[in-house]
Amino acid sequence: MENDILIEDDYRLPDPVRLGDEPGSFTRIIQKIVFTVDHKILGLMYIGSALFFFVIAGLLASLMRIQLMYPNNTFLGPNAFNTSFTMHGTTMVFLVGMPMAFGFANYLVPLMIGARDMAFPRLNAFGFWVFFFGGCLLFFSYLGAPGLYAAGSAPDVGWFAYSPLTARAFSRGHSTDYWTLSLLLGGVGSVATALNVLVTVICCRCKGMTLGRLPIFVWSMLVLSFLVILALPCLSACQIMITLDRYLGAKFFDTQAGGSAVLWQHFFWIFGHPEVYILIMPAFAITSEVIPVFSRKPIFGYPIMVAALVSISFISLGVWAHHMFCVGMTSLENAFFVTSTLLVSIPTGIKIFNWIATMYGGRLRFELPLIFAVGFLFQFLIAGLTGVMLAVAPFDWQLSDSYFVVAHFHYVLIGGLLFTIFSGIYYWYPKAFGRMPNFKLGLWHFVFFTIGFHMTFLPQHFLGFLGMPRRIYTYQADRGWDEWNFVSTIGVLFQAVGILFFVYNLIYSYIRGESAGEDPWDAWTLEWATTSPPPDYNFAEMPVVKSRRPLWDAKHPDDPDWKYE
Amino acid sequence: MNPDSKQNPNTVELPEPTGWPIIAAFGLTLLFAGLMTSLVITLLGFLICLSGFIGWFLDVFPHPRHFYVPVEQPPRPETTARSIQYLKIGERGHRMRLPIEVPPLWAGVKGGLVGAAFMASMACIWGHFMYGSIWYPVNLLSAAAIPEFAEASTETLKEFNLFSLVVATFSHGSISIMIGLLYITLLPMLPAKFAWFWGGIITPLIWTGFLFATMRFVNPILSQRVDWYWFIACQIVFGMVCGYIVFKEEKVETMQSLSFAAKLGIEAPEAKK
Amino acid sequence: MSANTEIDNVWKLPSHRKVGMVTLILAESALFTIFVVAYLFYMGKSLNPPFPREVLEFPLLGSIALFSSSATIFLAEKALHKGNRAGFLFWWGFTLVLGVYFLYFTGTEWVKLIYVDGLTIATNTFGTTFYSLVGLHAFHVVVGVMLLLGIFIAGIRNRLKASHTEHVEAISYYWHFVDCIWIVVLSVVYIISVRV
Repeated sequence: MENDILIEDDYRLPDPVRLGDEPGSFTRIIQKIVFTVDHKILGLMYIGSALFFFVIAGLLASLMRIQLMYPNNTFLGPNAFNTSFTMHGTTMVFLVGMPMAFGFANYLVPLMIGARDMAFPRLNAFGFWVFFFGGCLLFFSYLGAPGLYAAGSAPDVGWFAYSPLTARAFSRGHSTDYWTLSLLLGGVGSVATALNVLVTVICCRCKGMTLGRLPIFVWSMLVLSFLVILALPCLSACQIMITLDRYLGAKFFDTQAGGSAVLWQHFFWIFGHPEVYILIMPAFAITSEVIPVFSRKPIFGYPIMVAALVSISFISLGVWAHHMFCVGMTSLENAFFVTSTLLVSIPTGIKIFNWIATMYGGRLRFELPLIFAVGFLFQFLIAGLTGVMLAVAPFDWQLSDSYFVVAHFHYVLIGGLLFTIFSGIYYWYPKAFGRMPNFKLGLWHFVFFTIGFHMTFLPQHFLGFLGMPRRIYTYQADRGWDEWNFVSTIGVLFQAVGILFFVYNLIYSYIRGESAGEDPWDAWTLEWATTSPPPDYNFAEMPVVKSRRPLWDAKHPDDPDWKYE
Repeated sequence: MNPDSKQNPNTVELPEPTGWPIIAAFGLTLLFAGLMTSLVITLLGFLICLSGFIGWFLDVFPHPRHFYVPVEQPPRPETTARSIQYLKIGERGHRMRLPIEVPPLWAGVKGGLVGAAFMASMACIWGHFMYGSIWYPVNLLSAAAIPEFAEASTETLKEFNLFSLVVATFSHGSISIMIGLLYITLLPMLPAKFAWFWGGIITPLIWTGFLFATMRFVNPILSQRVDWYWFIACQIVFGMVCGYIVFKEEKVETMQSLSFAAKLGIEAPEAKK
Repeated sequence: MSANTEIDNVWKLPSHRKVGMVTLILAESALFTIFVVAYLFYMGKSLNPPFPREVLEFPLLGSIALFSSSATIFLAEKALHKGNRAGFLFWWGFTLVLGVYFLYFTGTEWVKLIYVDGLTIATNTFGTTFYSLVGLHAFHVVVGVMLLLGIFIAGIRNRLKASHTEHVEAISYYWHFVDCIWIVVLSVVYIISVRV
């Protein structure tokens, strides 16, 4: 590029920045957290705050389960129950699921592709803080004093906030506005971070890291970011509309003025269904890393796995109205959405078979990550099967908005997603903290949590068949629901014990865990090529990649992978 | 970021920590929070947000601010109490993509079709000896798709019906081909000893159990009228025949280790040493 | 795939600023899609007047200004690539003026709609969808104008360096996108809906 007039850079190198005086001082640590643009610290902060919100939302769920333990219970009133399920759902989806995914993406994507940081480090910090403050704003709705325009009310319209429930006339005060505006903020943060991940994967790969050599984890995060980029703005659009309706008297969803309440459902689920795949993507990502390493075999069918990921995300953009079979659509629309929804099961099935094929014939090492990943395989299969059942419109007419649906998506999100999150945390814990997680504590965690999970949610399938609708705060004694509800609530206790083991394990291992070294699992991706925890700059020398298993090549220069790929 | 800048070779350039993003984020939050509380807060949020973005802009313009971190040689072979079982070269399966070989696709089609023929003959023999009509089982099978058969008498079901024959042939044939195709992936993964037992008897028994449970919904006529023992016998004959044909076929590589382009047939696979 | 020893020489990745801008544009398109669909969905469904065919006039001058600004920003970029600073500043400033004129045009249109025709965002579903869609576009023009202004000021103060061509290109991507959206808005709002 020729430049006669534009002057060349006369930029002087600044002196190294001094943050605080002593490396370990309190101010230094605060500064490091608040001012950081380091993807690793931000990633851990994402995961940490997601875990924090997870505990809060879990407590809300426990309150609801206590209320439903007996018929005609009076533990929570109807209002408190409504705010509880709204806040539980909203928090789990927007403040736990997505931030968790972004946390893993933030921490691992640059390490896995051999980069020093994300493409836009400052935007990364911005994305995190917007999400975090958005979450705080959502929970501020509990605290806000009634004097401040009656703000002391949490949202109570359900996590999908169906119109016309959200209209000024039916939702007085500002509870719905808290839902709308805090999630609008969260949306800004999510799009910012997704953009960052996407650009990082495309533009910051180290030498030789072609798209065909990306770890499947990175592929999943790429697809996830792409879905966020396409789906989240739709939610933001919905929320802008609802805000206009509520503040300026616009008529988007005002049925009396010719607006349409069903349009909200379409718009929301155009976002909402890709969102479900956004949430499950980290599960695919983590499983695809954990299973090969602990089966001592490369992943089976790498290109097909990637193709399945891409096609799942593509199909997921065209299935939204399967949430709306009960609304009443033409039979053509019904048929379309039934078919497209059933199509999802094909790539998903391919993935499950490929994971099994990866394990088949391998030398399985049942360490904590693999234990949780195997749990995932079974539970995700059940979730997928109930999903296929619900995809069929007549079946959905019968069971929509019943506890069967609740059971289905909790099998997806807990049995599927949360188990792999645990698996991922145990897998990368040594990388992030340099210490091994304690196996025994982790095993207890697994045992209690698995038992509790199935105790809680398996009976909810039956409750759905028995006709129990979701979102009711109490029920009569003679419906045949008592025993199942009681068992379901007892399960929560087991889950809570499991979570206590988990949290205790995180703290205990941080202090007492054995030293991990660089590569405690004999893994093959680049994040294990640097020290644990990695230095600020990730890699002293930028790696050069020749195959899908760069670290195998480094360990075995006489028999490298690239000769076979 | 700045390839021209002269820098100490023992340092790494990293983006400088900065407070502006958090200030911008906080301002944006206040801006929204004000809508629920007081517009004064919105105004304040706007100002904070604006200053945050301006500060941010000055951070990255004209040059993203960065600082230099000295590279410390990491304490490489870190001693750890933990022993890691490294995967060794030449160890069984260190680069294994199983199954290495499977029967070819068309073996599944062939097995399925031949199995289907055997099974159909078995069913017709049953129809002939028990009811005196070889069309009886055919009509039973197609009843899933032909609503009129729901109330039909046994006599009607014994009569020849061309449409029913077409439906039955199509459904029987397509399902059989599908199962034949399943066999080519399934059989190599079953225990090698007594393959005929696992593939020919146990597998048909499993799917017959599944059919027994679901046939009421799929094809109530068939489930009411069929003789389940004979039905199981038919399935086992299918399993044995189809399994035998698939099993005897010469196996081909799964091409798992080839590139995607080679698998699609766009590129010629490299010759194996 | 064999070992690629020349990889050091051929390893080149796209610029992160441009890819970032394209990604942002993708997200913005999703946002606009929802508003356009809402407009189309409510087209002809307003229960009370005013209706589009009664009050909307084709925004000829505004559209000409906005469309030609795409050409001028292209010329500015070309001048920058040639190292012609004066040409760059001229065309860039011209783009800025055209953008501001478009905003002025939209402003007068809105004043007329509100005070003469009595159409506000709360009047009917046409008002709701019209103001939200056109307003969203106008908001993007405002952001674009601010970006243009930032570069313009930097250019005038001679702060624009050779390493900034990427920034300039990314901003011009954004400006072209705003223009493309206007084509959609123009056809949906001012051409299709006035005939319903």
